[in-house]
Amino acid sequence: MLKLRKLQENSLFLLPSVILTLALGIYPLVWVLRYMFYDYAGYGQELFVGLDNFRRLFRDDLFWQSVVNTLVFAGGKLVLTIPLSLLLAVILNASFRGRNFLRAVYFMPTVISTAVISVVFYILFNAYNGMVNQQLMKYGIISDPINWLGPDHAMLTVILVAAWGAVGNYMLLFLAGLQSIPRDLYESASIDGANAVQRFTRITVPMLGPIMQVIIMLAVIASLKGYESIMVMTEGGPIGKTEVMYLYLYKLLFPVSTGSPVEQQIGYGSAVGFATALIVGAITALYYYFSRKMNRVF
Amino acid sequence: MNQQAIGAGKSYAKWISRVLIGLFLLAVTILTLFPLVMMIAGSLKSSSELMSGTGILPVKWQFANYAEAWKQTNFARFTWNSTFLSTVSTVGTLLVAAMAAYVTDRRDFPGKKLYVAVQASTLFVSVGAVVLRPQYDLMVILHLNTSLWGVILILISAHASTYFILSSFFKSIPRELDEAAMIDGSGFIRTFFKVMLPLLAPGLGVAGLFAFRHGWNEYILPLVFTMTSPELQTLTVGLANLRYGSSAAMQTHLMLAGACLSVLPMLLVYIIANKSFMQMTAGSLKG
Repeated sequence: MLKLRKLQENSLFLLPSVILTLALGIYPLVWVLRYMFYDYAGYGQELFVGLDNFRRLFRDDLFWQSVVNTLVFAGGKLVLTIPLSLLLAVILNASFRGRNFLRAVYFMPTVISTAVISVVFYILFNAYNGMVNQQLMKYGIISDPINWLGPDHAMLTVILVAAWGAVGNYMLLFLAGLQSIPRDLYESASIDGANAVQRFTRITVPMLGPIMQVIIMLAVIASLKGYESIMVMTEGGPIGKTEVMYLYLYKLLFPVSTGSPVEQQIGYGSAVGFATALIVGAITALYYYFSRKMNRVF
Repeated sequence: MNQQAIGAGKSYAKWISRVLIGLFLLAVTILTLFPLVMMIAGSLKSSSELMSGTGILPVKWQFANYAEAWKQTNFARFTWNSTFLSTVSTVGTLLVAAMAAYVTDRRDFPGKKLYVAVQASTLFVSVGAVVLRPQYDLMVILHLNTSLWGVILILISAHASTYFILSSFFKSIPRELDEAAMIDGSGFIRTFFKVMLPLLAPGLGVAGLFAFRHGWNEYILPLVFTMTSPELQTLTVGLANLRYGSSAAMQTHLMLAGACLSVLPMLLVYIIANKSFMQMTAGSLKG
């Protein structure tokens, strides 16, 4: 009797979570695994086509361009974000006046909506009367306006915006990691005559290693996945220069603005989604494998 | 070189490195604040000044921009939708996650390990837009696509991180407390609501802050669900859509005023609860 009562209580407390996870986490995955073998437009007939969607995928230049763009975008974002956030964390881990204020300021971008701040950047980076060009020309840094969102610079611009929004987050994660390193290690090293650079390379980096591995992995996943700001600023354009995998996928799955060259195709979209998840997973696994190897070397 | 000269050289190098670090921090601070300052300053400029002016601060402060943006667009509606969406999804997420965290922390039952493993894997296997379409179609079947409830349910379903945060808080609450409540005749459910939830208040506060921020800033989900019903648009969606300018060319100064209207509430919450934000993100690495 008591056992039954306990079982009822347990189920009651766990059921909302289990139902939501099954319905909106697991079921959609099964759905995608099924529809990637179908020709289905989102309405009307569903036609089983076997591996046709994947054959099409291999010949889809737009998709492969988006894969390359994703790698460039994620790589550029990581190269900017990780060293900068680590450097800021190391500096802000020392105690000096204004430290907490600076931490708060650098973390601020992560509190702001990506979509909204991307609208602001869209306005700031406007080629002809955008405030970025206005300021750069005022101080004589450039003589002619730069077409920030044009074909030549759009990728750089979306990387800069993404880095702006991400640095504070990783700075804070690194700071948390740094605080777990015992202070007396630094003190005894100082007494032994180690300078700041030596203390960084000999104590901070090895002690931070395992945490850094996790932080970089989170950063890799996040930068491969992020497409919100690109969607708002360029919609993948101009001429597909900033089209990334998840944005391309989104366009296949949902009818979007009429200017888009992509039509809604659920079956093919599912195949693209599967391939995208596979690529992201493979890169993450690869990173994990190599970062562990590096750990053994150090 | 004598001892004194070495000392002087050392302090000289120290001084230079301090200045360099100071300049570096100044540069990062300027770059971080630049878009925000431009957003706020630009929202107070007239349209013509925004096009031609090169000064950062407005020549004449146009506070009327805010009233105009509020009137010309649907900002009242957007703000209500955003508030509703974020509040309900935050309360829902906290409740669902707290109940699950309580039962998995205090009780043993078959399948518990599997449940925790599934929740943990949803944190690392990130599928993003891949599952957007089936989620949407499911809400169409349930007739929840014509309200914000579809979005709310999807947001609540992603409660894994909240679950782990609250789990770690539950571990710090001594078991004797709820055992004592039960001995006093309070049932499992009653104990949870009357004893545990109040004790969990600090945990619910920080986790709630993060869930609220997530709901307030969410863009893709409300975008998908409001494509056919614009009256449900949230601030993020409504503002981003202004780029296409429904009536003639949408004016930049009004868009910036709108951006301020949608960012400032979250920014204010951040400034007030800065400490909790810092703690939470730092803690999320461990949990």
